[in-house]
Amino acid sequence: MEQKDDIILQVRDLSVSYGHIKALREVNLEVRKGEIVVLVGSNGAGKTSIMETILGVNTPDAGQVTFEGRDITKNPVDKNVRGGMTLVPEGRGVFATMSVLDNLLLGAHHELKTAGKKLNFVFESFPVLGVRKNQLAGTLSGGERQMLAIARALMSTPRMIMVDEPSIGLAPIVVNSIFDILVNLNKEGYSILLSEQNVYKALKCAHRGYVLETGRVIKEGRAEDLLNDPAIREAYLGA
Amino acid sequence: MLNIEILIAQIVNGLSLGSIYVLLVTGFNLLLLVAMIIHFSFPVIIVFSIYMSWIVMNLTGSLALGILAAVASAILVNMVSAPIFQHIMRKRGSVDINATMVISMGMGMLITEWTSHAINNGFPISFETEAVDPHGWLRATRAPFIRAGLVSISYSQVLTLLTGIILVAALFWVLYKTKAGRAFRAIAENPDGARLVGIPLLKTGVQSYILTGILGGLTAALMALLLGQASPDLGDQLGHKVLGISIIAGLGNLGGGLVIALLLGIVEAIVQGVFSGGSWSNTVAFLLMLVIVLAKPRGVFGIKL
Ligand SMILES: Nc1ncnc2c1ncn2[C@@H]1O[C@H](COP(=O)(O)OP(=O)(O)OP(=O)(O)O)[C@@H](O)[C@H]1O
Ligand SMILES: [Mg+2]
Repeated sequence: MEQKDDIILQVRDLSVSYGHIKALREVNLEVRKGEIVVLVGSNGAGKTSIMETILGVNTPDAGQVTFEGRDITKNPVDKNVRGGMTLVPEGRGVFATMSVLDNLLLGAHHELKTAGKKLNFVFESFPVLGVRKNQLAGTLSGGERQMLAIARALMSTPRMIMVDEPSIGLAPIVVNSIFDILVNLNKEGYSILLSEQNVYKALKCAHRGYVLETGRVIKEGRAEDLLNDPAIREAYLGA
Repeated sequence: MLNIEILIAQIVNGLSLGSIYVLLVTGFNLLLLVAMIIHFSFPVIIVFSIYMSWIVMNLTGSLALGILAAVASAILVNMVSAPIFQHIMRKRGSVDINATMVISMGMGMLITEWTSHAINNGFPISFETEAVDPHGWLRATRAPFIRAGLVSISYSQVLTLLTGIILVAALFWVLYKTKAGRAFRAIAENPDGARLVGIPLLKTGVQSYILTGILGGLTAALMALLLGQASPDLGDQLGHKVLGISIIAGLGNLGGGLVIALLLGIVEAIVQGVFSGGSWSNTVAFLLMLVIVLAKPRGVFGIKL
């Protein structure tokens, strides 16, 4: 029983297709409370599909998604966001023609009453966003946009944050600071499901990982074990 | 000839007409951006509301009930057509914008047919009759507020301009300062992104129908005040103009639509003054649109879709 209680997200036998294209085949995975779990896989492996299906964007062909013990398989996205999960989309998904402040408030769309408090918290954690709150999001640098996307996700008071390839297109030093942010958030108690092609760095900061290939989980385990796995080292770490 | 007073009178005149164009174009653009429909018959719905308001005022002689009827019928038409549009929109991934045009066109044709066969034998309706306006309030607004030589500004024009400014300001306040407005703008920029953040697309779409319904009804009341009459072909004329303004400004460009709509109102008023018959203002307006669209096919301020 105890084992079950500390699972925040459970995905069972999830299959998803887009028309005739089978994107996911019987995927099983779980995230425990307080964990960083990383999805590793090359382009088209199905990382985004998993996250978007969990969030409620796609209707799966089969399988079940359970969040905090509740079956959420058929929930629409806005209901799941209200329910405590959020996604930082691939490519950030900030609204370029809207101000930084508006972008943040969009994250708290379902509970604007408490948005003031959360804004203070977010501006404390990301001072640069406070300085630029009236600037259009389109004028931010890549790293700042990624921060904005993460901050916007926090505005929805999530318990689990899914982060889809945060490091894409960022300079190595910025990538490091984004990973630091994620690790700190995790220490504050947020459970994190992360997808990355920067396999080494992701596994370094994660607790566990799943390796995806053409829509299937081909390997799973503790992050350090995956890091030391010769097959993975060869396929993803070029060693 | 043209002197400064006449010019000022014409500009006031043009701005009051222009503020009506602003309301029409912004409603059209909102439906385009948020509900994702090309609703070029939106102005026809507003003419329908003018007719409903006329019918109610004819029966009751009450101005308040007339305004209420205008707003209620615009909201009603929007809410009745919403499920049909939403049905097409349900699969947001493959937005079938052509189908929305067919529905809009059909609605426009039905309304125009109805007004030209069933109401007043198809003759233009007037708000200045004894039955519609028993207290003579509307007729009183025809009196000149200021007179400058041959040209005068009537109370109705001043009233339209002031109310128009208030309505436009209120509309842009809703768009830029409220929760619903923020969601509108997010969906307008990136519907898929808005959904990922947790903005409910269908619910927000319905809110845009309600807002444009209220807007449409109030615009109908203003038009009745400014024009004092309506005819069955008014809706199509306005429909063409609104589509023209929106394309010239850049489809979906809210700020651009505001500027072009006001400019068009002023140009029309000045042309009307110069030819003092008024029948050339549409010709000049469309010639101007033609020239601009040839020079700037994506609109003066750029498409925002
Ligand atoms: N909307 C869609 N329509 C059709 N096929 C899609 C769609 N989205 C994804 N796919 C396909 O599903 C498979 C999985 O894609 P997905 O985006 O989940 O991969 P990914 O691991 O996130 O890749 P990347 O690292 O490039 O982001 C791919 O074959 C992709 O082409
Ligand atoms: Mg992806």
